[in-house]
This record gives sequence, structure tokens and C-alpha cells, in this order.
Amino acid sequence: MLKDITFGQYYEASSPVHKCDPRVKIILMLCFIVFIFVSQNAFALALSTVAVFFVLLLSRVPMKLFLKNLKAIWFVLFFTAVINLFYSNSGTVLLHFWKIEITTGGIYRSIFMALRIVLLIFISSVLTYTTTPNSLTEAIERLLSPLKYIGLKNAVHTFAMMMTIALRFIPTLIEEAEKIMNAQKARGADLENGSLVERVKALIPILIPLLISSVRRAYELAEAMECRCYNGGEGKTRMKQLRMSTVDLYAIIFIVVFAALVITLNIIF
Amino acid sequence: MAILEVKNLTHTYSGNSPFVNDAVSDVSFAIEKGEIVGIIGHTGSGKSTLVQHLNGLLKPTEGEVLFENEDIWANPKEIRKIRSKVGLVFQYPEYQLFEETVIKDIAFGPKNMGLEGDELDKTVKEICEIVGVKHEFFEKSPFDLSGGEKRRVAIAGVMAMKPEVIVFDEPTAGLDPKGREDVMKIIRNYRKATGATVIIISHSMEDMANLADKILVMNKGKIYKFDTVANVFSNSEELRNIGLNVPIVTRVFEELSDLGINLPERALTIDSAVEILSALKAEVENA
Amino acid sequence: MDNIIEIKNVSFEYTDEQTVHTAVKNINLNIKRGSFTVILGHNGSGKSTLAKMMNGLNKPTFGDVFVDGINTRDEETEIEVKRRVGMVFQNPDNQLVASIVEEDVAFGPENLGLEPEVIRQRVDKALKAVGMAEFANSTPHRLSGGQKQRIAIAGIIAMEPECLVLDEPTAMLDPKGRREIINTLERLNKEKSITVVLITHYMEEAENADRVLVMNDGEIIEDGKPSEVFQNVKLLKSVGLDVPQTTELLYALKQKGFSVDTSKISIKDTAKEIAKSFFKE
Repeated sequence: MLKDITFGQYYEASSPVHKCDPRVKIILMLCFIVFIFVSQNAFALALSTVAVFFVLLLSRVPMKLFLKNLKAIWFVLFFTAVINLFYSNSGTVLLHFWKIEITTGGIYRSIFMALRIVLLIFISSVLTYTTTPNSLTEAIERLLSPLKYIGLKNAVHTFAMMMTIALRFIPTLIEEAEKIMNAQKARGADLENGSLVERVKALIPILIPLLISSVRRAYELAEAMECRCYNGGEGKTRMKQLRMSTVDLYAIIFIVVFAALVITLNIIF
Repeated sequence: MAILEVKNLTHTYSGNSPFVNDAVSDVSFAIEKGEIVGIIGHTGSGKSTLVQHLNGLLKPTEGEVLFENEDIWANPKEIRKIRSKVGLVFQYPEYQLFEETVIKDIAFGPKNMGLEGDELDKTVKEICEIVGVKHEFFEKSPFDLSGGEKRRVAIAGVMAMKPEVIVFDEPTAGLDPKGREDVMKIIRNYRKATGATVIIISHSMEDMANLADKILVMNKGKIYKFDTVANVFSNSEELRNIGLNVPIVTRVFEELSDLGINLPERALTIDSAVEILSALKAEVENA
Repeated sequence: MDNIIEIKNVSFEYTDEQTVHTAVKNINLNIKRGSFTVILGHNGSGKSTLAKMMNGLNKPTFGDVFVDGINTRDEETEIEVKRRVGMVFQNPDNQLVASIVEEDVAFGPENLGLEPEVIRQRVDKALKAVGMAEFANSTPHRLSGGQKQRIAIAGIIAMEPECLVLDEPTAMLDPKGRREIINTLERLNKEKSITVVLITHYMEEAENADRVLVMNDGEIIEDGKPSEVFQNVKLLKSVGLDVPQTTELLYALKQKGFSVDTSKISIKDTAKEIAKSFFKE
């Protein structure tokens, strides 16, 4: 249930993908997303698929972890596939009932869209599985740093700090929500049955304690951060320096070749 | 008659859940009506998982839990009924408070059981009397109370369902000495007033020696021992091997035996120690 | 200078629903460099408020607090004060900032603007000092309470403070976790000569302290060696506290006519003391 959410969970391993600079990784992931969506035909998409799986294998993260992320959004996937099934009326009609007809074009489109989403989830999971939340936020902070020239310096640091803390506290709050839920169930709270209104009402005994405890945590964390000399981004250094290495060079070459191929395939076919 | 009986209970957690180390395997025991049973075991020995089966919050992977000889999962739709018969007070129960007033919060449990009107009012007031929730607090917000008082109100919230068995998971955690004493008093008072069966998880061997009739020792998801307090604390070497200990007074007595003093029996509490030592002293002086 | 912290005529007031409460009443207190001090007191006795004044987290309403000669009121030197006196709190979960242990420990030194290599060294040293080096790359949420609290201590140690103030660091831990923390603190105090001020509700944790302070109603009502302070069984109980089980046993025996010295605290000493009554002359 709640525990299945793996968002922001780093998987430790030694792989070229882990070694890659997180800034490069973020940019490459964005490139990947663009290419997956501009892959217009089966050949281009097949190439994207191969490229994505190549990166997955390279990352040494077990396949089942990627599938788990997919499980969390199966509904979106299913919905996209079904909608697209009826969206196109090109090709031969395979099935016809009432006003709806399913065509080969529809099936083609349905598979195409679903596959795109799968690839999208996989490639973004690679980023979160192979990058510690801290270096991820640092990379975002660095990538956004040009914003400071338009007077947003504090905003960039604050945003990065917020992300670090959010990632740190997601598992803690999930655990807490489960504890409170169990405590209220032990007092006879009925969370499973009843009408929609009743069920929403039943959430109040869980949400209020959760909110109060989050506020208390925030207050205590602020004090602890103050005790650790936190003073905003001013004058702060980093233990882990981001440095580009040969791995990054290979990664960039890889994406350039990939880009050239996708574009060519799109044009040829 | 056994009020609660656990038969071959096994519970395994899936995958990488943070509770994997708290599994329970093939556990069987029976608790008699009116007993006070202490559960000890280091963190991760399975004791928290075990007690969540007693009121049906967790469903056994294998085995069964019987309340008054009936399988609590015989009709899964009725599982909520068992929660008012077997009350469970979690660690830091004050984190479950949510209502606007103390009195409303205490009424949450009995209301969920279907009590209303005068009957509800009577039950809540009765519990406040037993637990010692002061009149002046009734209309206050529970969040304005001190830590110890919040704990008191939260415990009252479970007791208000008048459970026949009440289970506490480390009820004194995080409190100061006065607060710890108050909680122990609440437990004793509830038992005196209702004759309920009490199960209590604690890390304090001293509290166990003072309060419990029997102790269930958990280790690595299994029952290591289930016996009277005196018998469980009779072998300190054994307990130390699984990361536990005997009460400090008992350890003093062990040292005394090592020093060559011939003690007729082992003391578990300060009162019994004073009694034993006084008797021995009188004997020595008369001789 | 002999004292790391000097508290002079300090009071602390706060307003709650228009009534003024005095949490700390005119306290004078010096903490000696390298000492191990335990502060006892029931909830609401003012001990947390006092502790938070030791590193400038709370500023006194009246009087002054000096850390290494620096007044905690001066805003320009605020960081200097916090670097010298580190604080650890009750709930380890609410003190950890990052999702990777070593990155969390680096947080303090990073805020001090140290060079990356220096931070790396300090982080490794701090993790070693609390015995958590092998968990450098773990995520805090998979660790036990005692382990998390040791990471919190490492996060402070990495700033290389002179003094550690800990506000009930063992309250939420099991006996194993409590022992881990107390052992760590005793070691840091002995081997690295870090001054320790420990606030606790567990009397036995005061056993090896150099000095025990008892607070009640915003005042210090007892101040001395553990063996002296715990003699006042009645006084301690009257302010909602306790004494170690061993002291309580000796005290009860004395009431029954045993001639025992009630200042013994460890189990061995207590047993020897009782044994004397049976092997006369």
C-alpha cells in the first residue's frame, strides 16, 4: 500500500550511470523524454526502447524495482491505452459494435502511447534510483543557478533545501500516517465502509493528528538546523563536489548518436 | 478459562517493508481471564506485530487468534467488533488525539461502537473518574494539555470502549518519573474497576516485577519463555544472552550470593528485598 | 578560561494567553570545560529552556549567558556560539536533514563554509567517533532509534564543538539504544574531552557524571556529585523525580535499621555495602 511508493529512493550500486554527474543525468533524461515523444514511427520508437533498456541494464538496478514503479501507475497506463484505442479510425476495422469501432490503427496507436509512458517512467526512475536525493537537489540548484542573475538567488537555494527535506521526510510521514491509522482503527474507526461522504469524514481523525505532528516536526527541525549553523545558502559549501568525468563524456556522445538516429529514422520512414 | 488464545500464529512481512525484522513465527499461548501479562523482548523481536493480531489490526499469515474460544476472523466483516473487546493502546497514544475537546475525544471510541445519548455520556464520565481526567479539562482542547495529561486522555480514549482485554505497547515511553508512575496507577485502577485482563509491553523489568503475574519473553519472532515473573527472572544469564536483563534489585541479590551470603530466595522488587534481608538479619543477630 | 559556559543572573519569561510565566528564575551556573554534567527535573521544570539558552537558541530575558567568553546576545557572533556549543534533541527523526547518513553529517560543516576535503575528513572522523562509520551510505529511515540518535550526535561532532548539550536524547529509545548513547557520550567526554551537559529522566544515566543538577520550578535546588545528590531521596521524590533503584534499596534498608551508606550507586558497590551488615567485624 503506502509503503510501495519508492519515489526518491536511492538504490546503491556501482555503475557508470551512478557515476555520471547528476547535472548531466538530468539534462540527458530531459533529452530522452523529448526523443521518446518525437519518435514518430515504429522504427524510431523501437530504437528509443532499445536505448532506454540499454541504460536500465547499465544502471545495475534490478528490473523488478522499475516494474514496481510501473505498478503504481497501471491505471494511468490502462486508461491511456483504452482512450487511444478509440482515437484513431485508420486501418482495417477489426471490431464494430454500436457507434464504436476498433481498427488496426487504433491498436497501433494504443500500444504506441502506452509504450511511451512506460519508457518515460523507466527513464525517470533511472535518475532517481541512481542519484542520491541530495546530489539530485544540488544538481537542480546548480542548473537553476543562472536564475540568480535575475534576482532569484535565495529562491533557488530555498527550493533545493525544501526538496531535500521533503525527500527525507516522505518515508517518515508515511510511517506515521500508518501508525495513526492503526491507532484510530483500534478505537473502532471505520475507514473501509460507508458512502463517499462518510469515508472522507473518517479521514479527519487521521489528517488532524498528522497535520499537528508535521507542524511539530517542522518546528523541531528548524531548531535543529539552527543549532547546526544553518543560515540559508550564504557561504555554504558542499562536501561532495560535482565534477564531470569521462563517464559524462561517453554519456553525452551516447545521447548525440541516439538523437541523430531518432531524427534520421523519423525522416526516412 | 482462557480469554485469549493464540494458536500457531505466523506473520511474515513482504519485501522491503521496514517491519521485515518484526515478523512472528509459529507462536502459541493462552491468557487467562483477569491475568496481568507482561511482554518483554528487544526491539524487532516481534512483540509489536504480535499484539496487533490480538485485536485484528493484522491478519495472521497462518494460525488463528481466539477470543473466548471463537476465531476472531471467523467473519471478517465483523472484525471491528473485536476492537472494542480487545483494546490496544499504542506507543505515544497522545499522537492520535484529534477532537476539539477532551471529552469529545474520549467519546470517539464508544461512539464508533454505537453508543449515544445518555449512555455515551455516562460511560465517558465513568472512565474519566477511573483514569483521573479532571473536570476542568473536559471542555479544554486536548492539545493545550501537558504531555503527561495528554497521555492520560489518550489512554482514557481506549478504556472508554470498556475492553475486556487491554493491551499497552510501552505505555510509559518518553515520560518523566512522575508521569510513569501516573500511567501505572491508571492501569491498576482500570483493572480494579473492571476486572479486565491486562497485557503490557515494557522495557522496564522493574515495572514488570511490580505489576505482572506472568511474563512472555519474545526473541526472534518466537516465544522464548512464558512463565511466572519469578521463574522468568530466575535465570539472568539466559535473559542477558537475548539482550534483556533482570530487575536491578535482583542483580544486587545475585552479587550478594557471589559475595557468599546465603539468601533463601531472590528478590524482584524493593519491598520483597527489604523483607528478605530484614528477616535474614534478624536470624543472624539471634544466632 | 576554566568555564566553557557561564550563566549569570539569568531569567527567562514567556507569555501565554496574556499571562507571563517565568520558566527560569535567576540562575547562576558555570559549566567547567571537560566536565560531564547531568540535569534532572520533571517536565516543565525549566531544564529545556535553560539548555536552549546555553547555545543562544533562547536568549535570556534578564541576565547574560557567555560561551567561551562570548555573550550569546550578540548577533554577529551567533554562529560562533552555536559552533562551540552543539545541541541534540529528543526525537532523532526531527534532527536529520538529508536522506543519506554521511550527507546529513556534512550539513553542519557545510554551513560553516569549510573546504570540501576538510568536511570529508570531519564527517569520517565524526562517524567513527560515534561508531557508525559502516553506515555512512545508509538511509536514516532504515536505522534503529539509537543509531539515528548517534548520527544526530555525529552531525554535531562534525562541527568540532567544545560542548555538547543534549535534551533528553534517550527518552524515545529502548534500553539498548539508551546504553549506546550513554556509552558514546562517556567516550566522547573522556577521549575527546568534549564537555557534556545531559538532560535526562533516567536516574541511572547520572551514575558516572561529575556533577548532577536538580531543577524544580525554574530553580536549581540541588547541585553536587551523584552520590551526594541521590541521598536526598525524599526531596527528589517530592519534586516528581526518582532515585536509582540501588539508592532506593539502600535507603529502604536504612529505614529498617541497617547501618548502610546510602551514597553507593553501582550494583556491585550496593551489594558490598549490604554485605557488610552480615559480616560484622
